[in-house]
Amino acid sequence: MQEKTITITIDEQGNAAIDLEGFEGRSCDKAFEDFRGGDRVRMERKKPVFYTSRQPEQKKAQR
Amino acid sequence: MSKYCQTITELREEKYLVEALKEMGYEVEVLPEGAPLGRYYSEQEGKTAHIIIRRSELKGAFGDIGFARQPDGRLVAIVDELDQQRGYGTKWLGRVQQLYKEKQTLATARAKGYILKSREVVETRDGQQVRLQFMVRR
Repeated sequence: MQEKTITITIDEQGNAAIDLEGFEGRSCDKAFEDFRGGDRVRMERKKPVFYTSRQPEQKKAQR
Repeated sequence: MSKYCQTITELREEKYLVEALKEMGYEVEVLPEGAPLGRYYSEQEGKTAHIIIRRSELKGAFGDIGFARQPDGRLVAIVDELDQQRGYGTKWLGRVQQLYKEKQTLATARAKGYILKSREVVETRDGQQVRLQFMVRR
């Protein structure tokens, strides 16, 4: 199971970027609301999850 | 699911604002009923604030700096235009907000049971950033 991490980057104007990794379903929204702290949202996007460790096996063409 | 968001910090929680200003080395007056800001000439418009740093605390400033509670709960900075040009402008206020946001984030994380994994100060082209990483308690 992927570890759930939250990275908050606070810039010199005090504005924040919240990066949530490894969350599923409502737990993602809950973690976001925990850290938003009543601030206004400037931009929001969901990130696609890529599974690189389980590539489908390629069958060799038989002659 | 993973998510990425950018938020605009709004000063709302007096406690973290006072902590931020103290960390910057200022003595702060907290006045729940509000008090007038000190002026440097009598014709200047009188303004009231709920958190005040007196000019004696502010090197080179002409007036006091205050934060006034708005009807929507925000604390808005009141800085004279001349003082904004004397080192108390956007950059100074940005530093206040950066410290405020860090204190608020750390306190929220503690209260909600998240574990602080790392704290880094990162130099970027856009200035110094504070990066906090948390884990979810299992």
